[in-house]
Amino acid sequence: MANAPKAQPLQARDKLAFLLSLVPYLVDHDRVTVAEAAEHFKVPADQIRDAVNLIAVSGLPGDTAAYQHDDLFDIDWDAFENDDEIVLTNRVAIDDSPRFSAREAAALIAGLQYLSALPENADRASISSLMGKLSRGTSGEPAQVGVEALDTRESVAPTLALIRDSVEKGVQLELDYLSSRGDFERRRVDALRVESIDADWYLRGWCHLREAVRTFRLDRISNAEITDTPIEHRAADVKLPETLFEGSPDDLEVVIDVAPSAMTLLADYIPDGARTDDRGDRIRTTVRVSHYHGLKRLIASMPGVVTVVAPPEARVAVAEWAAEAVARYDA
Amino acid sequence: MAQVPVPVEERLFSLVLALLATETGLTKSEILSTVQGYRQRFSKGGDNANLERQFERDKDDIRDLGVPLETLDSPGEIGNNQTLRYRIPKGAYELPRDVVFTPDETALLGLAAMVWREGSLSGESRRALLKLRSLGVTADEPVIGYAPRVRLRDPAFEPLDAAIQKQVRVRFSYLKPGEERATDRDVIPLALVQYQGRWHLSAEEADGDTKLFLLRRIVGPITTGKAAPDRPGDHMAAAVAGLEQVWERQVAELEVEPGSDTATRLANRRGAVVNGDHATVHFVDVNILADELAGAGPEVRVISPSDLREAVVSRLKKVAADHG
Repeated sequence: MANAPKAQPLQARDKLAFLLSLVPYLVDHDRVTVAEAAEHFKVPADQIRDAVNLIAVSGLPGDTAAYQHDDLFDIDWDAFENDDEIVLTNRVAIDDSPRFSAREAAALIAGLQYLSALPENADRASISSLMGKLSRGTSGEPAQVGVEALDTRESVAPTLALIRDSVEKGVQLELDYLSSRGDFERRRVDALRVESIDADWYLRGWCHLREAVRTFRLDRISNAEITDTPIEHRAADVKLPETLFEGSPDDLEVVIDVAPSAMTLLADYIPDGARTDDRGDRIRTTVRVSHYHGLKRLIASMPGVVTVVAPPEARVAVAEWAAEAVARYDA
Repeated sequence: MAQVPVPVEERLFSLVLALLATETGLTKSEILSTVQGYRQRFSKGGDNANLERQFERDKDDIRDLGVPLETLDSPGEIGNNQTLRYRIPKGAYELPRDVVFTPDETALLGLAAMVWREGSLSGESRRALLKLRSLGVTADEPVIGYAPRVRLRDPAFEPLDAAIQKQVRVRFSYLKPGEERATDRDVIPLALVQYQGRWHLSAEEADGDTKLFLLRRIVGPITTGKAAPDRPGDHMAAAVAGLEQVWERQVAELEVEPGSDTATRLANRRGAVVNGDHATVHFVDVNILADELAGAGPEVRVISPSDLREAVVSRLKKVAADHG
């Protein structure tokens, strides 16, 4: 309970930011319904009503320090109560939108830099003008946190452009995909959504070969091209699973010992509810993988911090993989 | 008479309104005795220490939102706290008139905010979106849906981010690859940059040199120290430029198995050239590339440089021995 009051300022800060943002919007819109405002701000209608109720009784102390009627915001109460419409009839102090804080602008600018591989982001001149506008709309010194995504801009941008093109034209994509088992297959895909996690980009789409929704890592795609065949599945019609990768009943469970510092690097492979036991300076846990093809690469890329414990076939797969590689240097 | 407490957001909102409306500024006692949310608790001629502390915290909260709350000395009474006046100059508060965003810019900024769904920048991006929507522009519907995400999984990120904001020194243990023991560092943190998917801290060491630290090599907790001296400049840009120079300069020459998993992924890498069974790749950190190439097993053999070659071979031997 000792921490409970600390959470409060954050909540109040969000509410204040919302009030300061809602007022100029209402000033610009002579008459707007609660539903329209809620839709625009992407908040529940009740949050709009609560804010309007508060704004309508707020204002300035005024000369008499008595918060007289003329010193307060006011609304058309009949319209609000009967028709769920907001009409400001008196306003004080605020006309325009507030500036961004330095960190708010930094978050947006870093986000734009991160997204520099998107086709929507391809026009560098207009992006730098957009970043310039953000900087001018900021109070205070720029915050020192950011993302530089030159690598994704240069490597995944062409594929992203092709994906967007296919959706715009409503046609299937055809591509060579290197599966997690190491096989190349020509696939036809109806693109549904693009997702990313840090430096890795994924296409989620309907795979005509598998006749199911599949996730494709962009750096495992080659020879992608647009076809003339219309798509059969649209994003609006397909419910995508929440997580990028669905576990399969065929998945293999592998017991590993891992250094605590490396746990976060393996988090994506550790199924929810997996047991973890402390074993001295290591943690024993379980990872789930679709095939040893991927496991041996994963384990060999984390030398000294992860060891496979069981099953024996998994240990052998990793040991052979590493030994074969060493042999290439002895030859 | 039982008083219904004034909600926090009503007090903060009333404070912003009062300070925006004043040209000449208000003194602290004027604020505490007249502004909604304070006046109810103000004791005339009594002890208002609690209320004054509340006011101090409220000022911080308001400034965190980017509201330029100013203090002015009263003429002839410079340095007198009791006559210090507070105000929010409208020009510095309002978004300049020429800062307008088109529907496609609004859509792009919405995506940019979505990048920070987790971690310490999520509150900022949420509030930035509110301010953006305040301008009333409806975002263009994107052709294809995007769900971008940057994760802040390094436990060192949040404390370092907070230390940069507060401008304080930090101490931490840093484990360089190949070294047995972590060494203690006492630095002025300057900037946090994600480059090629990894977070780096740019920081000034005791000798005045600026160094880059990989967050994942920081072990244990971050301790904050004394106030750090001002270090103006665009440290982010400097850090990126430094990393780019190193990346440009360092090239590894590899033999790869054509058509393999590794060959495909290398071909999709920025700046990499794959030609038959021969490939060149640029890199920043020899140990990170060595980890990656060890994972590729027999699908790749390092030709040069020799330190990379040795790093890969020793990793592979370690993996083989650990699983033998």
